[in-house]
Amino acid sequence: MSKAVLVDLTKCIGCKSCQTSCKQWNDLPAIKPQFDNTLSYPAETDGYTYTTVLHRTTEKNGQETLRFAKRQCLHCLEPACASACFAKAIQKTPEGPVVYNPDLCVGCRYCMLACPFSIPKYDWESVFPQIVKCQFCFDREGTHDRIGHGMEPACVNACPTGCLKFGERDELLKEAWKRINKYSKYIKHVYGEKEAGGTSWLYIADVPFETFDFRTNVPNIPLSTYSHDYLKWSPAVFIGGGALLSALHFYTKRRNEIAKEKDKNHDINA
Amino acid sequence: MAGLANSFGRGAMTNHFNDYKNTDVFLVIGSNAAETHPMAMKWIQRAKELRGAKLIVADPRLTKTAAHADIFARHRPGTDIPFLLGIMNYAIQNNLYHKEYIANYTNASYLVNPNYGFQDGLFSGAGEKNGKFSYDKNTWQYQKDGETIKKDFTLEHPNCVFQLLKKHVSRYDIETVSKITGVPKDIYRNVCETFASTGAPEKSGNIIYAMGITQHTYGTQNVRAIAMLQLLLGNIGKAGGGVNAQRGESNVQGSTDLAMLSHLLPGYLGVPNATKHTCLQDYIEKETPPSGYWKNKPKFLISLLKAFYGEKATKENDFCFDWLPKVDGKNRSHMGIFQEMLDGNVKGLIAWGQNPAVGGPGAQFERKAMEQLDWLVVVDLFETETAAFWHGPGADPKNIKTECFLLPAAFSFEKEGSVTNSGRWIQYRYKAVDPPGEAKTDTWIADKLFKAIRKEYQNGGKFPEPILNMHWDYDKPGHDEPDIAKIALEINGYAVGENKPLDSFGKLADDGSTVCGMWIYTGYWAMDKDFKVAKCKRRSREDSGLGTFLKWSFSWPLNRRILYNRCATDPQGNPWDPKRALFKWNGTKWIANDVPDYNSKIAPEKSAQAPFIMLPNGNGRLFANGLADGPFPEHYEPMESPVSNIISKQQNTPCASVFKGDWAKIAELGDSRFPYVATTHRQLEHYQSGAVTRNTPSLVEVCPWMYVSLSENLAREKGIKPGDEVWVETIRGKIKCLASVSPVVKPLTVNGKKIEVIGLPWHWGYQGMSTGATANDITPAVGDGNTSIPEYKAFLCNIRKA
Repeated sequence: MSKAVLVDLTKCIGCKSCQTSCKQWNDLPAIKPQFDNTLSYPAETDGYTYTTVLHRTTEKNGQETLRFAKRQCLHCLEPACASACFAKAIQKTPEGPVVYNPDLCVGCRYCMLACPFSIPKYDWESVFPQIVKCQFCFDREGTHDRIGHGMEPACVNACPTGCLKFGERDELLKEAWKRINKYSKYIKHVYGEKEAGGTSWLYIADVPFETFDFRTNVPNIPLSTYSHDYLKWSPAVFIGGGALLSALHFYTKRRNEIAKEKDKNHDINA
Repeated sequence: MAGLANSFGRGAMTNHFNDYKNTDVFLVIGSNAAETHPMAMKWIQRAKELRGAKLIVADPRLTKTAAHADIFARHRPGTDIPFLLGIMNYAIQNNLYHKEYIANYTNASYLVNPNYGFQDGLFSGAGEKNGKFSYDKNTWQYQKDGETIKKDFTLEHPNCVFQLLKKHVSRYDIETVSKITGVPKDIYRNVCETFASTGAPEKSGNIIYAMGITQHTYGTQNVRAIAMLQLLLGNIGKAGGGVNAQRGESNVQGSTDLAMLSHLLPGYLGVPNATKHTCLQDYIEKETPPSGYWKNKPKFLISLLKAFYGEKATKENDFCFDWLPKVDGKNRSHMGIFQEMLDGNVKGLIAWGQNPAVGGPGAQFERKAMEQLDWLVVVDLFETETAAFWHGPGADPKNIKTECFLLPAAFSFEKEGSVTNSGRWIQYRYKAVDPPGEAKTDTWIADKLFKAIRKEYQNGGKFPEPILNMHWDYDKPGHDEPDIAKIALEINGYAVGENKPLDSFGKLADDGSTVCGMWIYTGYWAMDKDFKVAKCKRRSREDSGLGTFLKWSFSWPLNRRILYNRCATDPQGNPWDPKRALFKWNGTKWIANDVPDYNSKIAPEKSAQAPFIMLPNGNGRLFANGLADGPFPEHYEPMESPVSNIISKQQNTPCASVFKGDWAKIAELGDSRFPYVATTHRQLEHYQSGAVTRNTPSLVEVCPWMYVSLSENLAREKGIKPGDEVWVETIRGKIKCLASVSPVVKPLTVNGKKIEVIGLPWHWGYQGMSTGATANDITPAVGDGNTSIPEYKAFLCNIRKA
């Protein structure tokens, strides 16, 4: 049995309660994101943000409308990030969550490259940077645990409309199809049922998932099957790759600093 | 509030949030529940899921609520009246209204003075008084036979209210409404059909509104139009029905109940007028109606005077009526006060939890007005723009002599007390954490402030008696904080000499034997026998299935959850819909799922004669002769409009509350400098003037930038790209912000002309962690003729790349 969340996007009102409760529960710092035309803030998950709610305008029945989608780690059943991690810092737990252990992480960021959903982020500003992604509120030994204590994740707990539902994956999958078959508004697809071999977060919606740039061309077989053969080369690549990526880091950091300088001149209160 | 009180008798939301699950069709107009009341949206969604309820949203912007609508009608800001009257017209023309309901429960059958008329956009009696437009209301009165109003229950008499209404709304056909509002005809027809379907007795339609309806120069009439539509379709008093005014703050209902408005004493007793009410007897004689529940007004007023002045208030001295502050006929509303301040007539200001430097109309001018003050006290959590008005944009601290004080206040989680929600539930809550640093609760601040003022008056002063003799006994031995239980007991009411809360305002007396700070709350502090706590502290989830939750908190008045609920059944006592029966008469008594808002001890046919117990005649008002600007709503253009009024020659409401000076400048019709319609709005991430939310990191993060929404079409025309800095300019000034370009707003076709609409959130200012331009710097200072609420929601502007 493994835990999962069913996200019914037809019920999302874009209230961002999931997003702010996640920040609070996980003691994540708030940042001041760049302006975003869709008013999705931050526009993408980042080194300080496990989850964000995307806002999109789209068309339905000949009229414009708005739709929202919470984005976070999908917690694959057979995660590519975990198979790419030779340090075993990312692991799939039997309970469902794919969790990251910073103590084991060597900072190679292969997980970021491996993830078909571009989820893991890096907190570039830290002295000892870590990979940042949703932990599914699973942290049995730590201070941020909920699932291990029999509670639902912070985001699900905060959702006022029932858009998020926590439970056993097979039961939620059944429920997802039940809803799809009962109401004609849904598109006939449970996102996460098969993508990348299946994920613990399942989405149903009344607009195509491409609306939110959800990747719909992800293979239906677990990506970890691809990575296994290559993984043995990891330690060697790590040394060279690490050097290259460090160089890249300083380059991006400098670039960000220049961008920030520009922002300072960009005073909107004038 | 004025619109509701003049239609139903009370200025309050008729139903409550949980009840939304019983609705068949929602019309959300001028409200964005998904963003401003997300928990209300939960119940809307439940109704959609459980009952297949339909959601109609009318809004100029594609809001998050509109995203969930079955029908989304995009209408031009300021055209709610034609939108609503058009639905009434459709219901009448197609015989979809609830005839039995209006004949029995409303004033549809009343005969009006045969000289009543309406021509060229004006009602009969139009004239001038003291150089100002005003109506002589003689022709708006009912025909009488002695003391009895003449009625025609067939509703056929040409002078009966129903026939007058039919005639009045007949001009608002689908074609005309579409031309004025910009809503395409097919969408509007669909709105009419869907909402008018709730005129069937077994159906419930629910209208939800907020500041998008009220903040207009005809805001009161907007509310009237909603109330009338709901009466016509028989949707008042029913589960799933109602006119549901969603309040802008968690406790705004509570503060209104407790006399936040300048013309009211606690419990909706009018403030006495200095010339009209020279003594208590004067007030009682002139302000007490002969029938309806308000005939008990003297009991409520005298009990209030006893609460104010304690033992000093005796029958011999008019219960100290002379000590009450009186109004003098001048405008003492928000804009009235700031006009006086601009003119240098106000010396001191206490801004308590209010931030007019961001929230007031023409806020830049309100900040300027504050420069005239000798002293300013701000009670707030953070140093708001009001507290820091002296270093706002354009202010030069060197030239400002105002002495400023900032008293740090405790947040809602840092103090104990009750909060009254939109649905009138008085819910008690406890302190979660201590306030930080020197922050104090409002009761502590009020208590210490009053005691300090009284001490000053002991050395003399003008008219010291009311201050020196004020009953002020809230000390709790051994505590610095006042005793909240003593305050609650006083609000609830008790008999002199007894320390026990009364359980009903029916027990209040006019002989000085009872004390009551606010009669409508009586019973909320009385002990619940089963739970052994004050009724407002109850937390039982026990329910009938209708969501009334009678043992959860306490709902004023007397725990009635749905107001005017005599209308839930037919005159014989049979519920209109047996599946959602609030009440049923079983031949000898009422089977009840709510507390009756009527006399349940008399026969149903008798109580059916006056189901709106607070109104003198007991019937809901389709025709209301108490308002300044007409017995029926009529469409006028906003004070600033890009188009001529096509329904009559009268361009604007003749009764608007106008002010003078730069802040009250209005762009004229057809001013080519300001071709676009602007509206202000709130959004989910921020609260009011942003005083708290712009100082909360996790909320700043989810919406850090002030922006303006404009259409893709307008952006193309103006060469504006998403994220560009733009100037938004009105005749009163300009602000700079970032551009959000999306179909959230779109040009509307108004009488063949393309009109662009832009949206401005009003949460920003120059203080706090997230700063940005203040939308209200450029809004007009012009208000409704009845309430003086400013017209924030429709004005003219230009937009250009910065």
